[in-house]
Amino acid sequence: MEELPILTVSQREQFLVENDVFGYYGYFEASDVSTQKSMMEIQRDKQLDYLMKGLRQLGREFSSLDANRPWLCYWILHSIALLGESVDDELENNAIEFLGRCQGSDGGYGGGPGQLPHLATTYAAVNALVTIGGDKALSSINREKMSCFLRRMKDRSGGFRMHDMGEMDVRACYTAISVASILNIMDDELTRGLGDYILSCQTYEGGIGGEPGSEAHGGNTYCGLATMILINEVDSLNLDSLMNWAVHRQGVEMGFQGRTNKLVDGCYTFWQAAPCVLLQRFYSAHDLVHHGSSHISQGTDEDHEDHHDPEDSDDDDDSDEEDSDEGSVNGHGVHHTSIYINRRVQPVFDSLGLQRYVLLCSKMPDGGFRDKPRKPPDFYHTCYCLSGLSVAQHAWSKDEDTPPLTRDVLGSYSNLLEPVHLLHNVVMDRYNEAIEYFFKAA
Amino acid sequence: MHGRPRKASKPEEEAASAAKAVKLRSLQSQFMTYHHDKIYTKEAIELSTKLLEINPEAYTAWNYRKLAVEDSLSRIGPDPSLVKPILDEELRVVENALKQNFKSYGAWHHRKWVLSKGHSSTGNELKLLDKFQKLDSRNFHAWNYRRFVVELTNRSEQDELQYTDDMINNNFSNYSAWHNRSVLLSSLLANRADGFVPEKKIPDEYEIVHQAIFTDPDDQSGWFYHLWLLDQTVNVESPLLTSSWPSHGSSVILSGAGCFNGSPSNFTTFCSETGSFPLILYFDQAVGGVSSLTVTLDSELKGNENLVWEPISNKSSQVSCVWVARLNFSSQPCGSKDYKVKVRLGNSPGIVSSRGFNFSAPYEFVFTAHVHDPAKDSQERIVSWTDGFELWDAQSKDLNSLVTLGQLNAGIDLKWRQAAIDSEIECFRLLADSKIGKLTLARLLMASEAMMSDAAVKGVHYEEILQLYNDLMALDSSHHHYYKDEHSVAFLHKVTSSSESLSRYLFRYRDMNNLVCLRLNKLSLSRIASVNKLLFVQMLDLSHNELHSTEGLEAMQLLSCLNLSHNRIRSFSALDSLRHVKQLKVLDVSHNHIGKHSVDTTRYLCSSPLSNSDLSQDDVRRQNPGLVTKYWDAYFVLRDLNLKQLDIAGNEIAGDEFNSFVLQVVPKLVWLNGQKPGN
Repeated sequence: MEELPILTVSQREQFLVENDVFGYYGYFEASDVSTQKSMMEIQRDKQLDYLMKGLRQLGREFSSLDANRPWLCYWILHSIALLGESVDDELENNAIEFLGRCQGSDGGYGGGPGQLPHLATTYAAVNALVTIGGDKALSSINREKMSCFLRRMKDRSGGFRMHDMGEMDVRACYTAISVASILNIMDDELTRGLGDYILSCQTYEGGIGGEPGSEAHGGNTYCGLATMILINEVDSLNLDSLMNWAVHRQGVEMGFQGRTNKLVDGCYTFWQAAPCVLLQRFYSAHDLVHHGSSHISQGTDEDHEDHHDPEDSDDDDDSDEEDSDEGSVNGHGVHHTSIYINRRVQPVFDSLGLQRYVLLCSKMPDGGFRDKPRKPPDFYHTCYCLSGLSVAQHAWSKDEDTPPLTRDVLGSYSNLLEPVHLLHNVVMDRYNEAIEYFFKAA
Repeated sequence: MHGRPRKASKPEEEAASAAKAVKLRSLQSQFMTYHHDKIYTKEAIELSTKLLEINPEAYTAWNYRKLAVEDSLSRIGPDPSLVKPILDEELRVVENALKQNFKSYGAWHHRKWVLSKGHSSTGNELKLLDKFQKLDSRNFHAWNYRRFVVELTNRSEQDELQYTDDMINNNFSNYSAWHNRSVLLSSLLANRADGFVPEKKIPDEYEIVHQAIFTDPDDQSGWFYHLWLLDQTVNVESPLLTSSWPSHGSSVILSGAGCFNGSPSNFTTFCSETGSFPLILYFDQAVGGVSSLTVTLDSELKGNENLVWEPISNKSSQVSCVWVARLNFSSQPCGSKDYKVKVRLGNSPGIVSSRGFNFSAPYEFVFTAHVHDPAKDSQERIVSWTDGFELWDAQSKDLNSLVTLGQLNAGIDLKWRQAAIDSEIECFRLLADSKIGKLTLARLLMASEAMMSDAAVKGVHYEEILQLYNDLMALDSSHHHYYKDEHSVAFLHKVTSSSESLSRYLFRYRDMNNLVCLRLNKLSLSRIASVNKLLFVQMLDLSHNELHSTEGLEAMQLLSCLNLSHNRIRSFSALDSLRHVKQLKVLDVSHNHIGKHSVDTTRYLCSSPLSNSDLSQDDVRRQNPGLVTKYWDAYFVLRDLNLKQLDIAGNEIAGDEFNSFVLQVVPKLVWLNGQKPGN
């Protein structure tokens, strides 16, 4: 090459982001201990203020996301639940009442009262109600009509449409199946041909695209994988390449990118880390799958899910891995095909690095989380940064009765968030309550 | 689901946004009335336009418009001059909405809906796309829409390929363009569109991607595309048979239980209590449809007319690389007669790879079988792995009949593939100082070995490959396990690359009539590979390695003795693949990590496996449900094996309780941890 390499637009943008991110890291390194400590703090009070303000505002009026109000309910309520808090009765009742008005007379939830039922907002509404918990919230969901609605959205090709006459994609499949699973209304009709549809969306990169032919995408990879696990067909995906793709979306910034060669974004903390942990657990138990026919456990015996790694930390055989958080994952997303994953004794991604990105680059000192430096915070990113942070913190736990070790949680131990159910992204104990409730309801 | 960021607001902005909200809400409520009352007047439709231009996310309004369009179309009839303005208006509304938010799912979908009404002009759509793709070249909505338009209008894929050229030239980091290129090329190559033959196109593509990779080796896009190209170079569409047991031209000696006395060659002697032996077919990729219809047998061994073929796979699927049928020899008289068996595949269609390609090249192989008297002495002696081994004195004639060096089918155009790989190897030696460069070089060298047909140079690359993975392990510790596995794979390929190298690991085991034992112990192996070359193995020593599972061994259907002591097996679940090895009598898993770590029942992936009522009840479960629950992973594996000798000492799980449980599950066990039970 004679001439100097010219930076492409993407490279310039990447360079600027790295500059910002490493600026933050550099500042952190240079700070004194007490400043460092406060920079690492999750700032629970500030976060809660930000979220509560949003929730109250939601009660009054809202404009720009008018077709997405159940989403806002879910993002905010779930974020609050992750912080281990709950909202007062009045706000809860308001939310239940509001979501009730979004529920269509023929089942499902729309983006607002009177709007067409839509799978994505249905998912958001159900998850919001599960997060609120209690008989009032859970009984407000019309399961019979929901079942009819889901069938109406089912396409002959095997996939689901987002709404009547709407688009068909992997998100639609996931939201339908997640709802059906949590409400205990899954049946053969819903799952017929679905696995093949999802399979047709996995690309040679390893991840899953939104529809056949699309390039792999973090959100759809999560949706596709979770769907396949829920319908018990995860075996048919190429899991090695999926794992490799997901793991290697973590770049030098330590946050995840959503697609090959895109910029880091805080929300992929959840969308990419959750598939990594799901697969890690799947691999450590993959021999079981063909023994069990049940796609999801019922009852409340699974009250912890923050355990997956059967490896003792003192296992000297694998001590060569102890330093992996130094982070030489370099963003080269070339396949590291591998069964090696099933024996990883540590999270297959750099968990502490990821937590550092979220706490230093995504977290706003006045509350809320954002995509990356120079972006404003919003509830979407707050929800998925916090969810992902929880996934990262709990990705290490050794067994079902042990909470994460101090060293697994970046910053002070008070940063520890509630564990989430990885397939539905609701806080674990709320999931358990709901699953018991709907198990009895069947 | 990705919300657009809202801007931090100042007081005056907040006031404006509040006003906007009021306006929107009134629009919205008026719209809802129209929608619910099915009012499709001009005024009502205009209101929905307004709403959508402010908020393209209002999918209810998009649906309303679809209904309104259908309503108007039903009233005006098929006159194109009347239809056109209605649909044009829809396209206009979508375009405005996309200007507001070009990530709106609803808006893009509405446009697709309009187009599928037969109303489109490719030129207009591409122009629009061009505009959006200039603004955001990675917008996946736009790329999806582009593929939709191309398909709907039958635009030529070659023109589209040109478009990806332009996009890549403009910004070679644009992975979306590379991705679309791989999609288009796959289709063009599969259809053999004019000039699109792999041997011409793939080398051209390597040239293109080199420009990106060598301009900036840190950019991911090119590497991913390169990986795709390598796949295209290496992978042959049609499935091939890579090996079989018995192999072509071999002569096997069969005997009943108790085993062979003084047979001339112990390599090819197989004894069986059931009077049958496995016929194993090993394909290079998972295939389905292997049956007595697709595999025909000319056999002098009678009673094998309707063979049942079984896929050997851990997944409960009907596709697998390995297929097995059991041939009966018990009805043949013993003696001097050789029975000839001819196996033919591919004469009638039906063997299909999981990707949908047919096994097309007919292939046949012949072997002879000689039936021997079973020995009288069938005493159950303990198998010791410590002594009784003698180095194999390479009897190359025997070996050659066993080690078939893969079926390099004549029908495959290896030439261009080899040439392409060779030139890539040259090229990437220049980048071999970076991690990704080393890894790519190692993969290329492996690919080159896989394609080499010339026995004289076969195997020349392995030292270099092993060195590259050693370097990588040192350089990049966070992927240490991956490199280690690849190192093991390369090492086993090396071992099995020639009879000469393989013979170094072969021993005779005196105590079992000089049975041949393959000893791959103390080699730091973390993964098993090259099993297709080792189908003949009946005794295998893998002790003192770093194996975590027995995955791959399921193909070794002749295996009767296996030593896995001093490895890193963590649970019986990791031995699951052995359930397919029906001959296995002797298993040593002592000094592993079984029981050290609680087995994760992954409570949400499937609840406790024992909670499923469809599992059959047996005596052990009825009598001892508590122990079955506690040791369920051992239970599932052991009950499907026919072990005579088991060693589990040196594992956390070992102990009196577990021993007694084992004896319940495997009542026929003769030796447990070197002792006769009950003694």
